[in-house]
Amino acid sequence: MKAAAFDYVRAASVDEAISSLVADGALVLAGGQSLVPLLNMRLARPSLVVDVNGLDELAYVRRDGEHVEIGALTRQRAVETSDVVRRDVPLLAQALRHVGHVATRNRGTLGGSLAHADPAAELPAVAVALDAELVVRGPRGERVVAAREFFESPFRTVLTTGELLSAIRVPVRAADCAVEELTRRSKDLALVAVFVALERTADGRCERARIAVAGAGPTPIRATAAEELLHGRSLSDDVIAEAAREIAAVTDPPSDLHAPAEYRREMAAVLGGRALTKAVR
Amino acid sequence: MDELIGARVRRTEDLRLLTGRARFVDDVELPHLLEAAVLRCPLPHARIKKIGTAAAAALPGVSAVLTGAEVKAAVRAPQPVLWRNVPDMRLTSAYPLAVDRVRHPGQGVAVVAAKDRATAEDALELIDVEYEELPAVSTLEEATAEGAPRLYDDWPDNVCARTTVVAGDVATAFAEADVVLAESFRFARQMGAPLETRGVVATWDPFTGRLDVRLATQAPNLARELLGEVLGLPVAKIRVRTPDVGGGFGNKFDFYGEEVLAALLSRRTGRPVKLIEDRVESFVANVHSREQKIDVEFAAKADGTITGVRGTVHGVLGSELGTIAFGPCFTAAACLTGPYAIPAVEMDVVAVMTNRPPYGSYRGWGLPKANFVQERMVELLAGRLGLAAHAVRRKNFVPPEAFPYQSPVFVYDSGRYEECLDLCIEAVEEAGWAERVAEARARGASAGIGYSFHNEITAFGPSRIVNLSGLQHSGFDEEVVRIDSTGHVTVHTGQSAMGQGIHTALAQVAGHALGVPLDHVTVVSGDTDSCPYTGYGTGASRAAAVGGAAVLTAATRLKAKVLRIAANILEASPDDLVVENGRIFVDGVPDRSIGMAQVGDAAYRRLDGLLPDGESPTLEEREVYDPVNVATAFGCTAVLAEVDPETGVVTLLGYLIAHDCGTVINPLIVDGQLHGGAAQAIGGALYEELAFDDGGRMLTRTFRDYLIPTATEIPPFALTHMATPADHIPGGFKGMGEAGVIGGGAAIAHAVEDALREYGVKITTLPITPPGLLAAIKRGATR
Repeated sequence: MKAAAFDYVRAASVDEAISSLVADGALVLAGGQSLVPLLNMRLARPSLVVDVNGLDELAYVRRDGEHVEIGALTRQRAVETSDVVRRDVPLLAQALRHVGHVATRNRGTLGGSLAHADPAAELPAVAVALDAELVVRGPRGERVVAAREFFESPFRTVLTTGELLSAIRVPVRAADCAVEELTRRSKDLALVAVFVALERTADGRCERARIAVAGAGPTPIRATAAEELLHGRSLSDDVIAEAAREIAAVTDPPSDLHAPAEYRREMAAVLGGRALTKAVR
Repeated sequence: MDELIGARVRRTEDLRLLTGRARFVDDVELPHLLEAAVLRCPLPHARIKKIGTAAAAALPGVSAVLTGAEVKAAVRAPQPVLWRNVPDMRLTSAYPLAVDRVRHPGQGVAVVAAKDRATAEDALELIDVEYEELPAVSTLEEATAEGAPRLYDDWPDNVCARTTVVAGDVATAFAEADVVLAESFRFARQMGAPLETRGVVATWDPFTGRLDVRLATQAPNLARELLGEVLGLPVAKIRVRTPDVGGGFGNKFDFYGEEVLAALLSRRTGRPVKLIEDRVESFVANVHSREQKIDVEFAAKADGTITGVRGTVHGVLGSELGTIAFGPCFTAAACLTGPYAIPAVEMDVVAVMTNRPPYGSYRGWGLPKANFVQERMVELLAGRLGLAAHAVRRKNFVPPEAFPYQSPVFVYDSGRYEECLDLCIEAVEEAGWAERVAEARARGASAGIGYSFHNEITAFGPSRIVNLSGLQHSGFDEEVVRIDSTGHVTVHTGQSAMGQGIHTALAQVAGHALGVPLDHVTVVSGDTDSCPYTGYGTGASRAAAVGGAAVLTAATRLKAKVLRIAANILEASPDDLVVENGRIFVDGVPDRSIGMAQVGDAAYRRLDGLLPDGESPTLEEREVYDPVNVATAFGCTAVLAEVDPETGVVTLLGYLIAHDCGTVINPLIVDGQLHGGAAQAIGGALYEELAFDDGGRMLTRTFRDYLIPTATEIPPFALTHMATPADHIPGGFKGMGEAGVIGGGAAIAHAVEDALREYGVKITTLPITPPGLLAAIKRGATR
């Protein structure tokens, strides 16, 4: 398959990117790991491709007070290997090991994966789990969107015409983290994945749990009921099993040729239990 | 000098392939080249009411547009069906594009040639096709249901052919059996997926009337014959060349409509036309394989002796007959007894057409299904009788003294099956798998070991016998071995190099026979103008066995001439000469010697006084070899697996094959072939399935849908070998190109069942998927 014809702009600045993106049918090219196959299969037919790969100012990782801020164009591999991320946002570093392969992570960007909004992808779920803020720049200036508000439906976000995701801000909170992901083959997109960050008191009780599930609905799902159930509790096997059932209960997974919905829902419980156990250990 | 036959030398092909210097058909650049693309219908079954191509033809950059009706009018014959196992089978008269009715999703309806592929694809979007959708039969059950919609209006039903493989007295075997075991097995649709998709570049020279085709094929001679048949050309007017071929796996053995389309477009435009199958269309345009349902009953005595087999192989074919029709379904029935001496067999074969893409070759043909059934039945029978599965195997193996052994269809030439089983069991013991299972169980995990034993029909095949069995082609092999004026050797072969290392293997045989070093031998393949003829093609595990035999015979004859010339020069008797490392010595007189180059010079350039009187100049021998029988290789596969009973996920931890393919030419190539085949067995057992929705449309579109195992899914392989040469083949070679893929499915299933022994899981369907296995575990847990 060869892409249908499109115009191409390599943006020299964020402002130029935004002014180009105002055009009807314009799409952003970041790492290209999803867009380029879609172009070649003619499933994406933009009139204009706005290449942001020259915008070095969007590629950074920095600690900013109680947040870690990561530029949207930062390559996934750079995020994964960043000392700041490993120290302050370990769940993100752990999750990135499940994102494609090293070769695709060398090209793929953090912002690209978020804006692509594949409900089975890891990074949107991590953003939702960690209460990340997404910094969006557009023709009317900058706005900040909570990750939980950012994803609307499969492959659809709140980004509107002319808007560019520029950064992600993740609050830094000491927590025990765990990722459990089920794939048909290693490195495939998740059939289901559960992301857990647990903050615990000195005596081991759960002070605050943040749990998100990928592959289990039209967007990443925050398992709020399970989080509330865990609040203030000691994390015994029984409590974990109860929370795991609550995780599964909020899912609304799709059926496809790799697994039926019921299987995915059941696996959300299995993986949820395993992730909580792993985080506690 | 070390013997070259049997030497573990690196493959001469690899430096080019691994450094990206290979040139595949898509790398072919020619002046004024056009690129073509095919418009494919997504519907499983529809009447073409109208097809408008004017807008596409008018698009700037477009040179030609052809529809199915135009293609049919331009050819002399429909697509040839090579395997006609049943004389009265119904043929489907398929053409390269659908003529007035589409019968499977992805069937081509029009083709465009344009200045580049993107323009051709733009033009496809401008073709206006009006379809009237027809009811489709996408599954075996739908196709065979009472009153099912028919694919061909002039057929009474959707059955293309019925036949029966018969041996012995089945009625008595079942009447006198102590136990009769019945089971039904299903195999999903799968396909070979080489990294390089199919492709062709055709140049029809308007002045010479000659068609020059570059084709990614395993069978250039066959492609030339079939192009001639379809286009109505004498074969002398056709040249087929294969550039480097990026993997074959059988699906590039078959002959496709795209070859014809590229030729017709070139004739229409007067320009070279390239038509490359892209990855997305490969899932509908490539032949599909494997899909079968096999119902069987085994009759046995209480001591485990299997006395009879009966049942039915249902071949779930596609909408048209491909090159090989239902050959693999027939083979599954013919080989259902595998390595076992089962005297009474009655296996029906029913070949059923469906609205799915056509059926074709994939490594192993019918053997992986036959092996899965026979080995599963052996294990189930052992369970029923309270015997060890290996005891049942030993009880029923064809014993060494019974060879040559007439199985229901094939004659097995030689084998030492029990020794091979023991070799595998010993290797498993040495590898410490039992301890690993115990250790896994101790930590609460579910681990198990599974075995399977297989034999493989190779060195295909005696021409007259394969003709008798319905093949519209031959099975001999012709090879030419030449020594030039510098004493270097060139082997011209009709076999195809597709990454399997055939150049290295044939060079080793020639070098061995002639006494020259490996780097003095060049192998030339892939050109019907300059290379000899091989029947069939490079498939059916035949290239090294029959090609090697022909090279060995030709080279041995050529060596005799070398020695006659050398004897004349050295003033010695040819009988007193020995050849070592490219030099010819008088035996026992090391300072009386000449190099192969001097012999070459005497044969081509400075003959006087050196070439014996009456000896013709040049050094060349040609051998046509038609084997009197196939050769049976065999092996035992063992798998160590762990299963997660909460998710149904299977993880393979170990994979071991004990194997025997007669005289080994290059152990490194044999190992690589076994590794690659085993990887495909793993894909077939655990991952791969071509899926359709309820309406019969294809769901599998990309490698995100079609799950080929990656390096991380492949466990460490361990191999151990023994050698029982084929007495009837010069050199004693047997083929083994399909060995790795045959035994894997059953061994994996047995390892999974062993891991889950407390759940009583019974596997009868491939692939084993996590949701399916979890459901079986739950059924077992509630029993």
